[in-house]
Order: sequence, then C-alpha cells, then structure tokens
Amino acid sequence: MRALHTAATGMMAQELNVQVISNNIANMRTTGYKRQRAEFQDLLYEHVRRVGTQTSEQGNILPSGIELGSGVKTVGTPRLMTQGTPITTGKEHDIAIRGEGFFPITMPDGRTAYTRDGSFAVDATGRLVTAQGYLIEPAITVPQNSTGFTVNAQGQVMVTPAGTTTPTQIGQIQIAMFMNKSGLQGIGDNLYLETPSSGTPQLGTPGTLSFGNLMQNALEQANVEAVSEISDLIAAQRAYEMNAKVVTAADQMLQSTSGMMR
Amino acid sequence: MANASLIGLSRQMALRRELDVVSNNVANINTTGFKGDTAVFEEYVMPKARHDGFPGKHSKLSYVHDRATWHDLTQGPLRQTGNPLDVAIDGKDFFVVQTPQGERYTRNGSFQINSTGELVTSQGYRVMGEAGPIQFQTDDKDIIINRDGTIAVPDGTRGKLRLVSFEDAQRLRKDGFSTFSAPNGVVPQASQLPHVIQGSIEQSNVKGIVEMTRLIEVTRAYTQTATLLQQHGDMRKSSIERLAEVPA
Repeated sequence: MRALHTAATGMMAQELNVQVISNNIANMRTTGYKRQRAEFQDLLYEHVRRVGTQTSEQGNILPSGIELGSGVKTVGTPRLMTQGTPITTGKEHDIAIRGEGFFPITMPDGRTAYTRDGSFAVDATGRLVTAQGYLIEPAITVPQNSTGFTVNAQGQVMVTPAGTTTPTQIGQIQIAMFMNKSGLQGIGDNLYLETPSSGTPQLGTPGTLSFGNLMQNALEQANVEAVSEISDLIAAQRAYEMNAKVVTAADQMLQSTSGMMR
Repeated sequence: MANASLIGLSRQMALRRELDVVSNNVANINTTGFKGDTAVFEEYVMPKARHDGFPGKHSKLSYVHDRATWHDLTQGPLRQTGNPLDVAIDGKDFFVVQTPQGERYTRNGSFQINSTGELVTSQGYRVMGEAGPIQFQTDDKDIIINRDGTIAVPDGTRGKLRLVSFEDAQRLRKDGFSTFSAPNGVVPQASQLPHVIQGSIEQSNVKGIVEMTRLIEVTRAYTQTATLLQQHGDMRKSSIERLAEVPA
C-alpha cells in the first residue's frame, strides 16, 4: 500500500526535523553557533493519467491528470549564518566578529578550519589559541610580561611590552569570507571546514571591503531563538502525529480488506 | 450479482487512491512551497446491463472512477525567517529555475548562493532572472530583494527575479523536488504584478485538520464498502447453499 510508505517518509522527515531543532536548542548557549533548518521537498510523482492527454478525437484535452506523490525527502539542513548578539564578557582575549567573516584556525592535522567563536586564550608559550588550544592563523605570540592586550576593530593586536609605556603592534588578525558560507561543513568544536560548495576563502583585514569588524571583550552568542525553535518543535511533533494517523488509517483499511477473506 | 462486487471494488480502489493523495499531502505538511492535491472522482455509468431482453426497465450501473488530482494552488502561510535569501511570492506567480531537464517552476523560495556566486535553490538549480541566472560578486553583502523582484546590493543591481504566471496553472505537472513543469501547450507568461517578500518563505498550504477529516472519511467509507461487500458475499454464499441443497 503506497500510503503506508508515503506516511513513513513523512514520519522520518519529521523525526529529522526534531533532531535538527533539538541540536539547535542544545546549542542555544554555544558561542558563535549558527542554527540549522531542515529543508524538505516532495518526492517523485507517479503520473497515472497524464496531463494534456486527449480525451476524444475532437481534441478535447484533459485539464488535469492524476498525480500520486510518494512522500517527502530532506534536501538539506542549511545553516542560517545571521549575526548572533554580541555580549560583553570583560575578558580581554574574547573577540567577536560584527558582520561577515570567520577566524582561520590551524588544526592539529595542519588543515585550516574556520570559526565564529572568538573565545581565545593565551597558552604557556604566549600564543593566541582557541578554547581547544588550536592556533589562530596567522599565529600571534604575546611577549612575556607584556601588559595591555588590545585588539582594535581592524584586527590590529597591540601590547605594551615589559618596561615600556608605548603600545606596539604584535600582530594582525585576519578573517576569511566565503561566497556561500551556508555551504561550510560543520565539524563540531564550533569549527567549520571549506567545501566545494562554500567556495575558497577570501582572506582580508577586518573592517575593510565587506569584512566585518572586531569587538574585543565580547563574544557572539548563538543565533538560536528559543520561541521560534519551540514553536517549530510543536509543529514538527504535530506533523509527526498526523503522519502516524495516516499509517493507522492505511492499516485499518488493509485490515478491513483482509477481514473480508474467511 | 457480480456487479455489486465490482462496483464496491471500484469504490475501494478510488478510496485507496484518495488515501495515497492524502498521505502525500500530510507527508509534505512542512515542505516549503508545497501545494496540496485533491483527488476528484467521477461517476462512470455503464451504458447497459448485460442482458437487454427483459421486459422490465434496467437500471443503469454507476461505477466510480478517479478522474483527476487537482492542485490546490492557494497561497500558503508566510513565515518570517529573517534570512535575506528567502523569498516568498504573494499571488499566483512562480519562480523560474533552470534544471538539467529544462526550465521548471517553483514556489519554494528558499534560495542560497553557491560557490560561484549564483543564486540557486536548495537542490542546486539556478534561479533565473529576467536576463539569465543571477550572479553575485564575492564581496556582495546587504542583499535587498525588492517587491518587484529586483535584487540590489549597495553598489548596484544584480538582476531581477523572473516571475511567471499561467493562464491555467492546473495543467502544470508536479515533478517532485518542489518543482512543476509545463506540458506542451502551456506557456508561461511574464507576471503582470510581481510581488515578492524578502526574508520570508511560503509554507506548505496543506491544512492538517482538512487532511485528518478526509482521512476519517476515507477510512470509514472504505470499511463501510468492505462490510457491504462482505454482506454481499454472505448473501451469495447462503443462496448457493440453499439452492444447491439436494433434498434427501
């Protein structure tokens, strides 16, 4: 019975929808997290009676045919790369990006990953690293005993070395932009990788062209809105229930058919 | 006698088709830009019963026959997403997308920009503008899509979405993947009054309550017909038993 399978695709789609929503809710307080949305499309149709068939020799044409759909499928879970709210943390190594762009990060295996999570720290050798201890690219090393770590909107990193009073620039933070940032591949740990769909990164100085600028002492919150996620969750759950009802109905019909045979 | 069974059977076949249509609608209750279908049945009147030589009048037999599925092309509810590349159409128009099979039409306006800067659907099909596919530059930001479909960025325009309408949209064929195709003789016309809304998507126009009601209707009618057929079978059985009784 086709309806059973069709309803099953509907239930699977809603299950996936709930999975995406629950991941969004789970990451509501994750710095720099970008929410995902499950995107669905209808499956193929069987054209039992084709549109435009002639119904008589006089050339009368069927105004509409019989099309039986076979359910729904998930086409993707695109990320919505809208800006999250920056909140000030008062921690000098926290940097938020306002606008477009990602921080390039060197992963332990040598690849470059990209992140919006600017909760950096300084490791034992003075290098600026992410919360996981990965180096930011290009590496920035803070001299020992220096004070007054500042990052301006254009990404210039300044410190006052020990024994002096004038701040000097020790590095420049670069950010990367992608043609299709929704096409980046999320690998967890707030990191994304470049894919053929995202295009190649375009590196630049914050605040120039269309690159966003930086904000020190702040972190970008997740762009998840509790209200819309919860209402999506309700909608998904109800849709799941309705599909389950279709399964019951199809089952009931089959039952009444098989009940006829004695 | 067999006619009653066949008529009942034709009804059951039709109801099963209707269930297929309902289940597809329900499965797509969360599909962006989806348009529901309705099964339409017609009476098929048998011209004459088999034997014509009776003196009395013969009543005609009417079977049920599925005639068509109608696309319910009413507007789906709009949902604000805040994503600048989500576009919903207000009215009866369609977006034109370029698929490997040719030009297709869709109401699903959840667009993206691909790695080469073209505006594409989530399936990866290029969205057509009035002068071909819509191409963005690498440093384009703050994309504005106006009511009439013009796409503007701070340093200029990047094209205008091509919106088309059909005199008889019922004749469009569903292809799956949220797209419709136009059979021969159905020609798209440039939209007279394009009206798109940026930052919103059109949700599926399937109404849960309507579909659930239809579902109840279908199952009840099916069970009813099954009972009828069963009673008819019992009747035959008992008549065979009685008539074939050999007096001892």
